Amino acid sequence: MSKARAPLQRIVVAGAGQVGVLAAIAVKRAVPDAQVAVIGIPPDPTAFADHASGALPFTVRLHERLGVSEAALVARAGGSHRLLTRYFGWGGGGSHGAVPYGAPLDPAQRTAFAREWGGGTAQRGGASPATGSIAEVLTDAGRFASGTDGNTDPLAGLEYGMRWNPPAYRDLLIAGARALGIDYVSADIAGARPDGQGGFAALVLEDGSELEADLILDCSGPAARVLSALPDHGRSDWSPHLPVARVMVASPGSPMAALEDRYTLLDQGWLGELAGRDGLRRMLGLASGVSDAAGAEALGCEPQIVLPVAPGCAQRAWIGNVVALGDAAATFDPLSGLNLDLAHRQLDLLLELLPGREIVGGERAEFNRRADLMAHGVRNTLAAHFAAPRAQAIFGARAQPGSVEQTLDQFSRRGRLPFQDEASFLPEERQRLFAALGHPRGIPPQERAVSEGAIEAARRAFAAQAKAALAASPPYTRWLAQVARG
Amino acid sequence: MSAEPTMRRRPVRVVVLGGGTAGWMSAAAIAALLPDLASVDLVESEDIGIVGVGEATLPHIRGFVERLGIDEAAFMKATHATYKLGIDFRDFGRIGESYIHPFGTFGEKVADVGFHHYWLEMQRRGEASAIGAYSFAVAAARANRFAPPDTGEGLRSTYGYAYQFDATLFGPFMRDHALSLGVTRHEGLVTGVERDGASGDVAALVLKDGRRIEGDLFIDCSGFRSILLGGELGAEWEDWTHWLPCDRAAAMPCHHVPGAPLRPYTTATAMPTGWRWQIPLQHRMGNGYVFASAFTDEDHACEAIRQAAEGEPLADPRVLRFRPGRRARSWAHNVVGVGLASGFLEPLESTSIYLAQMAITYLVELFPAEGAVDPRDRDEFNRLVDMEYDRVRDFLILHYHATTRDDSPFWDHVRTMTVPDSLAAKMALWREAGRIERYEDGLFYDASWIAVYLGQGMLPERHDPRAAIADPARVARALERLRHTIGEDVAALPDHRAYLNREAGRLAEAA
Repeated sequence: MSKARAPLQRIVVAGAGQVGVLAAIAVKRAVPDAQVAVIGIPPDPTAFADHASGALPFTVRLHERLGVSEAALVARAGGSHRLLTRYFGWGGGGSHGAVPYGAPLDPAQRTAFAREWGGGTAQRGGASPATGSIAEVLTDAGRFASGTDGNTDPLAGLEYGMRWNPPAYRDLLIAGARALGIDYVSADIAGARPDGQGGFAALVLEDGSELEADLILDCSGPAARVLSALPDHGRSDWSPHLPVARVMVASPGSPMAALEDRYTLLDQGWLGELAGRDGLRRMLGLASGVSDAAGAEALGCEPQIVLPVAPGCAQRAWIGNVVALGDAAATFDPLSGLNLDLAHRQLDLLLELLPGREIVGGERAEFNRRADLMAHGVRNTLAAHFAAPRAQAIFGARAQPGSVEQTLDQFSRRGRLPFQDEASFLPEERQRLFAALGHPRGIPPQERAVSEGAIEAARRAFAAQAKAALAASPPYTRWLAQVARG
Repeated sequence: MSAEPTMRRRPVRVVVLGGGTAGWMSAAAIAALLPDLASVDLVESEDIGIVGVGEATLPHIRGFVERLGIDEAAFMKATHATYKLGIDFRDFGRIGESYIHPFGTFGEKVADVGFHHYWLEMQRRGEASAIGAYSFAVAAARANRFAPPDTGEGLRSTYGYAYQFDATLFGPFMRDHALSLGVTRHEGLVTGVERDGASGDVAALVLKDGRRIEGDLFIDCSGFRSILLGGELGAEWEDWTHWLPCDRAAAMPCHHVPGAPLRPYTTATAMPTGWRWQIPLQHRMGNGYVFASAFTDEDHACEAIRQAAEGEPLADPRVLRFRPGRRARSWAHNVVGVGLASGFLEPLESTSIYLAQMAITYLVELFPAEGAVDPRDRDEFNRLVDMEYDRVRDFLILHYHATTRDDSPFWDHVRTMTVPDSLAAKMALWREAGRIERYEDGLFYDASWIAVYLGQGMLPERHDPRAAIADPARVARALERLRHTIGEDVAALPDHRAYLNREAGRLAEAA
């Protein structure tokens, strides 16, 4: 007989950035009777997930589940939508590639059965002729509307990521957290009392008071202040594979509502340009040996701040009763904006495996196994950025992790990307990303067999679909203004 | 940016050895999916019988058949196929108990918590029916009803289906399809294999009458004899008999029992030294006893299937011998093993055709389009095939190991044996917390593991604490509503035989 298990009673979140507050909301909603407290330790500016101005489509769905309304995000936090990311110069000067979100999905694969039983690898092997992407058509036309539904809607199933103004987004989350009855403790952590089981029974605050906890979420940033205090903590260094050690961030520029963001490869490093209704964000991931002056020139202005990056991850993100999320679990430069996505996917994993007061070793091990797959997936994705031919010339050639080497080999010879469990991107998105980064793509054998007739038919079908999508979507700025007015 | 196709080279010469199910599946798939890249020759001999493995399949076969450009109706008619919603396992966990492993789901996730956790909580309170009552596929199977699933989100989208067909007709059907796609068939016995002196690759097969069939890539579908992979190249065999002791089957087809409903599912009934299958086809009932020769002999097994079979026998029992395990490498040099030549897992979960299909799919993806085999592609193929085999193996072992049966030396052995570490870890996670180790590649996900764990009486020690937070009266009502809705929806489905008959007109037209 399966026994009832006492639910968590006290959960303490160390860190009140956007990662910590959303994590607090998530656990409070999962266990409404639990006491959830967020400790407002001093924010760490190098916590990239906490300062990210957006995330991937996964976060849109997570927000929906956690009651973070998209309308409120648009109305109160400068929310805007991203359909794709463009990469300039990665395949050599003048090159350009777009990476739209989403993948064409056969309606038969959208059922509960398909989700639970999977397409299975044996379902693959056929090739559909490559067409275009609706996201790209809409981005080029500057037209978009979200929140439509119904299978007949030409915009249904379109994937997008959200951006926002981080302080305003955090305020929005804090208001939500208050409404749920989450406590806020403005103090710093001075120490912790071990629980004799490999974790901490309580966190000790500056004034000597204690906050007892069944579960502690360490959202303190790269220092992982709680997790790193445990004797079993260890950290993997990613700097052999991820070369950026400094990121220059410019003051926000003019407001800009665009459906795309850009990452351009310059001689000085990578330049990110993220559109925002509160201002265009520019940042530069510096190649080693680039002077501050050269960096500022590439950035186009004096940086507002220069952030150090020490890429790496916790060897185990969950030790005892302490679970690290965000930069405390893995930290890396914000190229392609994966920081908050990883934090949210690991939070979602914690929600799936959320323990009771008594923590079961197997749950912890399963969390660590999957969280590690997620983190290394991100590391490998970033490593593939720096392994792009021109990026190697700028950031220096370096040894790739074995799996990245294998992936690049398969892609260049066969146009194939080995399946990755717990990946940030869909297989189709990865295909687009690798091509946009300038990795040469081999032609898969089964793709060579697609007939001219099938290609032409697919092209015609896509053109019709694109026309319908354009007709169904208003100019993005006009629609956004409407939503923002409420 | 794409690499420009290199100069048009001559097609890769693929030679398939063996004209059984795996051989003709391989030949048809390569001819259909890589038409300009490969030429396909198949060598078979009428003097060699085929095992004709797998009368029951998994839902994945539908995509395979469709991708090869085969019409489902024509295919079902030619192979006398019926629809399959799952497998009914009887007497596995305990004699007298039965559960269906459905091609479908159980209930729905609520607030991040899997349905089975709510079920465990309500079961603890004594307010839940068997887990199968909350699965549309199980309820439809039990009611002997069938209709194809819907797309979308409703209950009717929570299941899939496969086929139960006559394996001796499936191979020939694939042969006709392959021949229509331009595959060349050679009748003859292979008496010699020529190797390239420098590389050690296979260069040609030599037939008894002296013909030489040259090739660039050889697909070994010669069954257990594994003439090229095991015989010629000596690829090492990894034996799994210690985990899966069944190594024989006594097959005996029967007439349908007159008046009995046509089951849209396969039945697997545990026996003192193995288990027996019942696979309903349009025209007959497949019957057989899979047994362990270490625990009983062939005569006893044949007698046992004669005793157990319900319909009038169509033939005497025929004994098949097999070895559970796999080649340490399924692709060595320029020889790829598909089907029994590369490995065998007993048919308890109808995985034989899936395993052939899986290998073919990976081979197409990793096909040596330039002629020469790149060792990196070969390694990747072997990695993927190993992963698939390991996952299926663990799932099969669970059926034997998760039991309370102590009524025979066979069951004592499988109940108490040491299982692979990978399975031990999965079972520990289930036992400790009611959770399933999650992966997205390979075969058998959460719903399948839950079906077997719960079906065989292996309840976890605890479940997700959140399942106990919700008001139990509300959860009980929700469970009851789900059970009721499933019952109503299933009652509206046509009877399986009626649906097949109704489709008969269409099937006849398609043939």
